[in-house]
Amino acid sequence: MPYLFALAATLLATAEPVPISEEATGGAGLLLPAPEELFAGLIAFAIVFFFAWKWVIPALNQTLDARSGAIKAELEAAEAAKHEAESLLEDYRSQLAGAREEAARIIDEARESADAVKADIVARAEAEAEAIRSRAREEIAAERERVAAELKGQVADLAIQIAGKLVAESLDVERQRALVDRYIEDLGGVQ
Amino acid sequence: MEQLILATSECDLTQQTVCAPADVKELFEYRIPIIEIAGFPITRTFVLIILAGLIAVALMYFGLRRKRAVPGRFQTAIEGLVGFVKDEVAIGIIGPDGVKYFPYLLSLFMFILIANMFEITPFVNFPITSRMALPASLAALTWMIFIAAGFKRQGFRYVADIIWPPGVPTALKPLVGVIEFVSTFLVRPFSLAVRLFANMVAGHVMLTLLLTTAFVSIVTIGEIGITKGLFGFAWWLLGLAIFLFEIVVILLQAYIFTLLSAVYIETSINPAH
Amino acid sequence: MEALKGAIALIGYGLAAIGPGVGIGIIAGNAVQAMARQPEAAGMVRTTMFLGIAFTEALALIGFVLFFLA
Repeated sequence: MPYLFALAATLLATAEPVPISEEATGGAGLLLPAPEELFAGLIAFAIVFFFAWKWVIPALNQTLDARSGAIKAELEAAEAAKHEAESLLEDYRSQLAGAREEAARIIDEARESADAVKADIVARAEAEAEAIRSRAREEIAAERERVAAELKGQVADLAIQIAGKLVAESLDVERQRALVDRYIEDLGGVQ
Repeated sequence: MEQLILATSECDLTQQTVCAPADVKELFEYRIPIIEIAGFPITRTFVLIILAGLIAVALMYFGLRRKRAVPGRFQTAIEGLVGFVKDEVAIGIIGPDGVKYFPYLLSLFMFILIANMFEITPFVNFPITSRMALPASLAALTWMIFIAAGFKRQGFRYVADIIWPPGVPTALKPLVGVIEFVSTFLVRPFSLAVRLFANMVAGHVMLTLLLTTAFVSIVTIGEIGITKGLFGFAWWLLGLAIFLFEIVVILLQAYIFTLLSAVYIETSINPAH
Repeated sequence: MEALKGAIALIGYGLAAIGPGVGIGIIAGNAVQAMARQPEAAGMVRTTMFLGIAFTEALALIGFVLFFLA
């Protein structure tokens, strides 16, 4: 569509009436600058040049200054933010390190106390076991003594009884033997 | 519109392949005064030239008016153009001294760009740089500036070094000197002016002939028949392609004129190059 | 002879365009090569390429002007 437009416009422009130039059609009419156009060209260019010189350069510099100022401010802000973040990070890091140390210390302490408790328990258990054993040993010894004493008494009683019986019935060998056997049988019955 | 009909009535596609005027120069010589002030003719081209200057000023003014740190779209575009001339042409070619010549180069670029843009501007469609006056006067300005810069920087040695170049065998010095003199002081301004002029003339001729022929063939399709009408369509497509190509040429010629001006100034202030 | 002048001028312009055409092709081709080899230098190569093209093109344009002068 714009091309159609351009096309129509081209026609409008090119269909201008063709004037008769001084040199007519022959020769360098096209190559020689027309005086009024030279004049116009120099005026127009002078306008553009003075505008570029007096207005564009300062405006451009101002824009660039504003831009570099804005960029600088932004950079500074970023720098400050970065510093703050770094110090915060440092803080956090030291805090973290402190916490870690604390934790390690607590664990160590706990381990130590656990070790102590363990040793204590073991020692106490050993002591108790020792106590139980020695008590048992004592009880056994006491029992043995008691049994021995009792046995001694019984044996003495028996010996006296046997001796009494022997004295009472000491007639002959036959009877003695029978007596002893009976006694032994009696013993067996006692058991 | 009467003129349009006039133009189409002059063109008979049953006889011609392309609607060309009897003399191509007719496409360029609009020297009919709109008004005359004390015998001084104000022509359409005159008005367009002044208008180009004002548009260039207005573009720069509205582009750079608000000195915002974060630019809008239009400001970015104008700042891009201005910054391009400053960084790539003024400082990029001439060096740190280029800042001094930056206003000249910037106004050159903007003015030529707008003047060229008239080639594809609807209802104007006439590149005022295809009239020799504009390229010639701008080339003459560049010529004066680079010669003045040379004299200012090097004094009389500037011309002496061109006529009697150091570092060349003595036997060749006159020859090289003459060639250098001619190429520096005569060919440079001439080729600078002619380059811009000829490019715009060629572009305008191509666009005009192709698009006019296409238009006439569509309008008169009843008389010339469908086969020739298709030819007209082909001309139209070609015209569109050249229309796009001309946009590139417009930018490139404005850039090259500015670039070459910068290069000429650079060679006169940095001789040992 | 007078009738042939335009045609001869056209031929002259055509001849004048041959050399610059070849030259611009060489410049652009080498610039593309240079840019492909060193993409980081593309900006400089492009500027120099435009300069070279501008100087070369001048010859064709002088032919163009002579065509009008003829």
